[in-house]
Amino acid sequence: MDLYNLTIRQLRQLITEKKLSPQELFAYYLDKIKKLNPRLNAYLTVLQEAKIDSSLAEKPFFGIPFSMKDTYNVKGMKTTAGSKILENYISPFDSTVYTKLKNAGALLIGKTNCDAFGHGGSTENSDFGPTKNPWNQDYVPGGSSGGSAAALAADLCSFSIGEDTGGSIRNPASFCSVVGLKVTYGLVSRYGCVAFASSLDTVGPMARNVEDLAAVLQVIAGNDPYDSTTSVQTVPDYSKSLQGKIDGLKMGVPREYFAAGVDTEVVAKIEKSIKVFEKLGVRTVPISLPLTKYAIAAYYLIAPSETSSNLGRYDGIRYGNNRDFFGAEAKRRIMLGTYTLSSGYYDAYYKKAIKVRTLIKRDFAEALSKVDFIIAPVNPTPPFKIGEKINDPLTMYLEDAFTVPVNLAGVPSLTLRAGFTKNNLPIGFQIIGKHFAEAKLLNIGYQYERNSGIETVLKPYE
Amino acid sequence: MKKIVLSHQDVIHLAKLANLKLTDIEINNFSKQLSSILDYVNQLNEVNTDKVDETAATAGLTNILREDEVNSGQKIKSLDDLAVEKKDKRKYFKVKRIM
Repeated sequence: MDLYNLTIRQLRQLITEKKLSPQELFAYYLDKIKKLNPRLNAYLTVLQEAKIDSSLAEKPFFGIPFSMKDTYNVKGMKTTAGSKILENYISPFDSTVYTKLKNAGALLIGKTNCDAFGHGGSTENSDFGPTKNPWNQDYVPGGSSGGSAAALAADLCSFSIGEDTGGSIRNPASFCSVVGLKVTYGLVSRYGCVAFASSLDTVGPMARNVEDLAAVLQVIAGNDPYDSTTSVQTVPDYSKSLQGKIDGLKMGVPREYFAAGVDTEVVAKIEKSIKVFEKLGVRTVPISLPLTKYAIAAYYLIAPSETSSNLGRYDGIRYGNNRDFFGAEAKRRIMLGTYTLSSGYYDAYYKKAIKVRTLIKRDFAEALSKVDFIIAPVNPTPPFKIGEKINDPLTMYLEDAFTVPVNLAGVPSLTLRAGFTKNNLPIGFQIIGKHFAEAKLLNIGYQYERNSGIETVLKPYE
Repeated sequence: MKKIVLSHQDVIHLAKLANLKLTDIEINNFSKQLSSILDYVNQLNEVNTDKVDETAATAGLTNILREDEVNSGQKIKSLDDLAVEKKDKRKYFKVKRIM
């Protein structure tokens, strides 16, 4: 049985009709992991047995196997955050996102590889080796949630939980031809998620189709008393809103995101996607996000500052190895953050950056008062080869040009498939909305998916 | 605008502040890389931020408080879960010698 293109709802239906048992479904993925993971290095930890709780047989996710980026604590399991600092750390508690999915009947099958502490956009900064892109193993899967994206592309789980601070869900989703959602900051609890930059980190779903993203988001979204940065707003019904028509909506096309410097194949493919939206009755409106060119500078001041503070907890005393075990990128960001927060430099760097952040947030608010959503590339280039950009950190940072502004503003963004390059490498794009507009974005994405003509039945392996 | 240069001394000082031990090769590499990154981020000076408020977080929330009551769900059941070293069948926290 080939289950690659079945949605969670369809898999769940097979389980209800007893055409497939949870054990069989788990074994289906486990067999594939055993075959493909040694090549792909998508998973760091794999559970050999499904912990099926039959008292949850009526729950919406009963028997559905999923993976999580290895930044999420699960009691009794290793949580490494991709770093040798935590290579032997066994979590003493469960993250909220895990608890919610477990209570919905979902089965964790493993923890996926990532850039250590989320520092990176290619999964090459993992202390446990890079993950390979299932579409072409010489290429990166994107990052930092590269393991999750690769696991989805290679059919090694039905959905995954990634984490997006500066693009870490959208970038690998785009590079691996899957879909992913960077939520509004505060929609999903970060309790139990290893912190990278606390004002930017978001917890989000990744899957092979938009319907699945909506289903997972329904389970994980919502206020959590254990995370005081979570919103108290009522969570809407995401699955219900998928079917709505989208004609008449206004789509902003920001000129700064399609300017010189963006790969022409990327632009060409996304222009095709724009045509799909236009066929669905969406109106294209040219807009401007003038602060775009300063977003990377602001992000690479704010994020390292916050991470230098967050990574201060790794003292090797209460848990984990000592600070000698940090990789080069972690050390770089810690020192950068230490510098920008230190006396004499705080005003010129950090304070300046968080003022620019206000202006970037305003850019989006203004644009989104004129249009319903914004369309943009995710990466300025198609997937690159492993090792190609790793020697110059700044070159790697520039890949984040179109993803970090979204995190700075705290708004949500959904990554969809644009197609493939002539070298058969995936390209994605993102649609950005107002704060807490996930229902609208998922609706738009769902309608796009059904009309894009992009073969979602395509997979990297037979 | 003057180019930012972090000298080896600067990097050594930063490493000390951040409690990181660096090799000579690392000091050399980081001095170059951090200098180029700081040079890049310096372009923020082109942006006029007079009278602009700071945004430290985007959630728009202010102090979230709760009653000062023990939440039994969050109590640690046993220190065994936390301690890191095993000696004589008991568990300890091991720290660096101070004196």
